[in-house]
Amino acid sequence: MKEILRYPLVLLFALFILGCTAMDLTQTNREFSEMENRYLQQKPKFTVKTLLNNTYTQKYEEYINDQFFNRDSWITIKSMAESAIGKIENNGIVYGADHYMFEKYRTLDEKRFSDNIRYVKEFAEKYPDRHISLMIVPSSYMVLSEKLPTGLGNLDQYARMEELFAGAAAPNLTAVDPTALLTAHKEDSIYYKTDHHWTCYGAYLGYLSYLESVEGKTPVEYESLPKHQVADFYGTYYSKAKLFNTVPDVIEWFDPAVEQVTIDGEEVDGLHDLQKFEERDKYGAFLRGNNGLTVIKSSAGPGDGSRILVIKDSYGNSFVPYLLYNYDEVQVVDLRAMAGKMSDLLAENDYDDILLLYSFMNFASDQNIPKLRY
Amino acid sequence: MVFSSILFLFRFLPAAFLVYYITPRRFKNGVLLILSLIFYSWGEARYFPIMIASILVDYFCSRGIESHRDNPKLCRVFLILSVVFNLGMLGFFKYTNFFVENLNALFGLSLRGISLRLPLGISFYTFQTMSYTIDVYRGKVKAETNIIDFGAFVVLFPQLIAGPIVKYTDINRELKERRMDLVQIEDGIKYFILGLGSKVLIANSIGMLWTELEGMGFSGISTPLAWIGILAYALQIYFDFSGYSLMAIGLGRMLGFDFPKNFDFPYISKSITEFWRRWHMTLGSWFREYLYFPLGGSRRGPARTYFNLFVVWAATGFWHGANWNFILWGLYFFVLLVIEKRWFLTRLNSSKVVCHVYLAIALSISWVLFAITDLSLVGQYLSQMFAFQGGSDWIYYLRNYGITFLVAMVLATPCLKPLYQKWENNLWFSIPFFGLILVLSVAYLVDASYNPFLYFRF
Repeated sequence: MKEILRYPLVLLFALFILGCTAMDLTQTNREFSEMENRYLQQKPKFTVKTLLNNTYTQKYEEYINDQFFNRDSWITIKSMAESAIGKIENNGIVYGADHYMFEKYRTLDEKRFSDNIRYVKEFAEKYPDRHISLMIVPSSYMVLSEKLPTGLGNLDQYARMEELFAGAAAPNLTAVDPTALLTAHKEDSIYYKTDHHWTCYGAYLGYLSYLESVEGKTPVEYESLPKHQVADFYGTYYSKAKLFNTVPDVIEWFDPAVEQVTIDGEEVDGLHDLQKFEERDKYGAFLRGNNGLTVIKSSAGPGDGSRILVIKDSYGNSFVPYLLYNYDEVQVVDLRAMAGKMSDLLAENDYDDILLLYSFMNFASDQNIPKLRY
Repeated sequence: MVFSSILFLFRFLPAAFLVYYITPRRFKNGVLLILSLIFYSWGEARYFPIMIASILVDYFCSRGIESHRDNPKLCRVFLILSVVFNLGMLGFFKYTNFFVENLNALFGLSLRGISLRLPLGISFYTFQTMSYTIDVYRGKVKAETNIIDFGAFVVLFPQLIAGPIVKYTDINRELKERRMDLVQIEDGIKYFILGLGSKVLIANSIGMLWTELEGMGFSGISTPLAWIGILAYALQIYFDFSGYSLMAIGLGRMLGFDFPKNFDFPYISKSITEFWRRWHMTLGSWFREYLYFPLGGSRRGPARTYFNLFVVWAATGFWHGANWNFILWGLYFFVLLVIEKRWFLTRLNSSKVVCHVYLAIALSISWVLFAITDLSLVGQYLSQMFAFQGGSDWIYYLRNYGITFLVAMVLATPCLKPLYQKWENNLWFSIPFFGLILVLSVAYLVDASYNPFLYFRF
């Protein structure tokens, strides 16, 4: 036994392997990873059948990986090592200037993209007497291109947006492109540094762009809104890259002027879920996340009974509150969570305006846009 | 199960070695056989009988040869049985679809292929068992009588998946009597950690560059990026393969076996001829010994020699994968080797710079052939490399991977080897050095399964 002390490498290697194994075996399994926002693999049940069709061993290996002890710390170590050897990306997230993070985005699913364009066009043609606006928001890497590392070679969303607008064109459809206004304010905080969303101010610029496409609506002044700040926002880009010296974002938001909010028929207390501002997924506070049908009665509307339907992805969540100053009622649909049929909704309600609001990436990849047809 | 996984490092490795070390000497091979069979069956339990069949067929064939020495005809039958069985297995699982597709394309047939996964390590262990029976037939070695020892040789888990190709004659003495002491175990641990680091920290990292180019498509990339891309691939495949061999050698040492060396800094070679003496050495020597020499080698005149070389290199290429590009890749080396042999081998060997430039270009082209299975894309990639295309895309990659490239390129040469040998036994160096590689490798392995689902595109 004494002899092994003369071979510290053997001893330490054995201790490391056995120690980690023991730590791993004795820790309790986690159900859910907040960092990754997904359920982790649990220990699979052994049956001869699953062994023979390879699902058991595969699941077991996933389980071992997902439940490895101190998983998040190991991932942080890797992120630090990558930075140490001068990498300017990690797990698909690129580090730009001024602590901005961007997504690597090279190709899109061409079929889904062209299908989604067609569904929007068909939607507009199906309701020829409704006025429909289509707003597409480019990703931060497009607007803040000066902050990107040279030669990144991401997909040119502007070119594809032109294609999108041309393909979806219909007499009653107005294309809304917030790019010009966003670009004019690129020195302001319009996108989060650590998250893929636009900020509330970015959303405000989107709102200004939208109002230009409808008649007779005056925008509310941004400065006049009562604002709050939430610090230490580590968004989705951070969760992927886990850059050790990330500078967190500050969320600036304002109290929305609401009288009543119902989500899928149930009344809720307040438009935003303020509890979420305390948690990691702070953007989830806006509009209480992505819900099927949200009906908002405004307390600051024009009083003419005007009503708008917004069909949106999560970019819409920080955008919708501004509309409460121009419409008495705002109905918000997220196709990914919607239970009912689109045609029923349009038959039952009289909308003055309909707005489709999507970020470019989500528009190009979302599988739920076909729901517009039903 | 691969060595570079959490499952292997923190489940199989500790359990297997604890059991192995506490088992009394005379039962060690039995335990090793069982552990190896578990390792083999983990990936595909259905193939367990195939492995058992492989062991039995070669065991009985060589026993048959051994006990019928006086009947050369019968010996031949046993030999042919073994070769047909081994090549048949390999042919069925690895090449059926290739032949079906080509027959369909050639004659307009619509034969159905098979949809079976390749049994783990089949390319390696069929060669090992075949060489064993051939060696018995040639009288180079006595047939093994103990089926447990023989089974342990065939399934021996360190070299089962990806080599080195360990011949029976390499380890037959160790199967009976092997040294197992802390010196050897420490050596093994060092090899294992170096191999793990090569695979996880270098090969996987730099391999991402190539994967990304494949994802983007080759049509839009600039000429500098095309060269950076294939350089990344060359480094990836070297560190991946040699890393895996090192891990195998290390695990072998820890069990008491000395496996043959498989890579010897191939990229410092001065010619393709030399390259193939340094790259995947056990495969090269296998083909030399069991294909090239039986065909007559170089003793039957120049025409026959070229034919033999042609066969060997077509087979070498085809062994690497069931696709035309691999055959083309093998034949590409055949052409280069013949040209070198006839005209410039001596000139290359006496040059200082030209030989390395030549090798860099020749190998880059070879890796294009190897990496891209679609032949039309091979042409496209080569044209990106040789017909100049401007662009700034390479700046990003150079900046992002610069240090990784530098480290990998330095480590692909032996220039740090003297320094390493000097410090290897200095604890102030070795503990932090190996510790860092190990910890970082684990971190990278955990990260590889990091899969944030962040309604990312929402």
